[in-house]
Amino acid sequence: MSAAHPRLLSVGTANPPDRYTQAEVIDRFRVVNPGVRRVFLSPHVQTRHLYLPEPDAEGRPNEPQGALLRKHRKGALELGALAVERALAPLGLRPAEVGYLCCVSSTGFMLPGISAMLCKHLGFLPSTHRLDVVGMGCNAGLNGLNPVAQWAATHPGRPALMVCAEINSALYVYDDSMASGVVNSLFGDGCAAVVVAAGVEGPAGRPAGPAVLDFESHLMPEAWDAMRYEWEESHGKFSFYLDRDVPYVLGVNAHLPVGRLLGRHGLKRRDVQHWLIHSGGRKVIDAIKYTVGITEHDVRHTVGVLRDMGNLGSGSFLFSLERLLREGVAAPGDRCVMMTMGPGSTIETALLQF
Amino acid sequence: MSQGAMGEGALRLRREGDVAWVELRRPTINMRVVRALSDALDALEDDDSVRFVVIEGQPGCFCAGIDFADFRPDAPMDIHGFHKWEQLCARLERLSKATVAAIDGVCTGGGAQLALVCDVRVATRRSALQFDEIHKGFLPGMATFRLAKFIGLGRAKRLLLQGAPAGAEAALAMGLIDAIAEDDALDVGVREQLRAFGPAHPVATELGKRLLLESYAEPFEQAIGGFLAAQHRAISQSAFLETLAAARQK
Repeated sequence: MSAAHPRLLSVGTANPPDRYTQAEVIDRFRVVNPGVRRVFLSPHVQTRHLYLPEPDAEGRPNEPQGALLRKHRKGALELGALAVERALAPLGLRPAEVGYLCCVSSTGFMLPGISAMLCKHLGFLPSTHRLDVVGMGCNAGLNGLNPVAQWAATHPGRPALMVCAEINSALYVYDDSMASGVVNSLFGDGCAAVVVAAGVEGPAGRPAGPAVLDFESHLMPEAWDAMRYEWEESHGKFSFYLDRDVPYVLGVNAHLPVGRLLGRHGLKRRDVQHWLIHSGGRKVIDAIKYTVGITEHDVRHTVGVLRDMGNLGSGSFLFSLERLLREGVAAPGDRCVMMTMGPGSTIETALLQF
Repeated sequence: MSQGAMGEGALRLRREGDVAWVELRRPTINMRVVRALSDALDALEDDDSVRFVVIEGQPGCFCAGIDFADFRPDAPMDIHGFHKWEQLCARLERLSKATVAAIDGVCTGGGAQLALVCDVRVATRRSALQFDEIHKGFLPGMATFRLAKFIGLGRAKRLLLQGAPAGAEAALAMGLIDAIAEDDALDVGVREQLRAFGPAHPVATELGKRLLLESYAEPFEQAIGGFLAAQHRAISQSAFLETLAAARQK
């Protein structure tokens, strides 16, 4: 492995201070539909950090679209600042030393984007190169990591930073439908930042993160509308639609990009020690498990993040990476495959090596 | 897949159509055998033209278990080799091919463990399966995890703690083996089992084995999700589509 391969040097994450059990959420908003209650109380998601409003007189979270957009902006700044600080601190870096800043988000539209807001508030230099990846969904962390890693590879010695900021509680539409229930019970709020650099020392006394070797994408245009935003006239809000066949669409395709990615490097599935899969939902994780042929142990962090925080959108796989690094089991030379899935529909993969 | 000797003669691999025969050339298991078996599994996994794997020993001895010459009583004991052995057994157990243990004669300790991770066990009438590890002061690998699932906890306790050999008839009666062959006709018995597997579609075989193994470890609520994911993968394969086409022509 050449020294030019950029490494994921440090991960920092942040969530809203308030953490709710699923029972607390349905009690707070007086959810009565037994089907929706059952979805909330399935064991795969147990707690989530959320920015929840006080219920109105009917017990509903009555937030118009404008309030949701403000929540997205405020949350992205609050959690983004914390995640950036937690990612940079172990390396003794300050925002002014970051040469490239990429912000990834799909939970609200802002202009100027999150990267400009973070530059204004966190002390990045005016000369910082910026990129905002907006509206690409849960897979977008790897879509963002690709140019970030390319930039880091061509600018050795200079740190790049990617920030995935998803305030999913800014997407909630509350009604009694199962479609809303599935979304409202699954997604949590969280922000993850990762420092990417070539030729920069890792954090002292901590395991170094893996080097980024390659990426492979797989778009499934036949399922382009399986995950999408829709404007709900009756609510005056965007709502997120998630087709019930999403897990199975992923299931018949997930082995394809993995096969191409590994095949290009002469590797087999058995040569990969670590799998960091997006915490999309239990059925999605099962579909990947049985298609790619990986075990429950391989998805332990994916499942753990889902259980403790819900689906955190584009940053989910970085929360899993944080847990893998903390576990301290990855040995130098170990290989890692990252996989994120989302609207398009798409499967994004990356090959890394510790 | 290349044929011939592996691991400095510890194994011999030969192909007959879609069947791969893996012959244990030594009576006991040492690290060289473990490495050779692991290399053989690499080759078998990668070869889509192999649908069946037969593990066989020598006439009169399938495998007599662990080779104590590998151990140095004056050095600190190392668990790492046992870990490698268990990884190997788990891989064979989950292989996406139908597997048969062809047993003649002695099948003791690690040999019996190896037989347990195959899908089907055929033994000649003169064979005996025996777990003698506990009598010798150590443990019969993850047979402690697997054996009771074949024969029930009571019988598993008796076999492991008393360490007595189970002859072919007794082993068949308790479900420890699946078929008995005449002493001079193990081959015939093995081929009968291979035929019984039918086409052994690789994806359906792999998924069926995996779900059965997981059935002992997971609650129904988790298993049903795994089943649906696996079933969707299976019905999307050409094997099932061919079944549908054939049904339509009738």
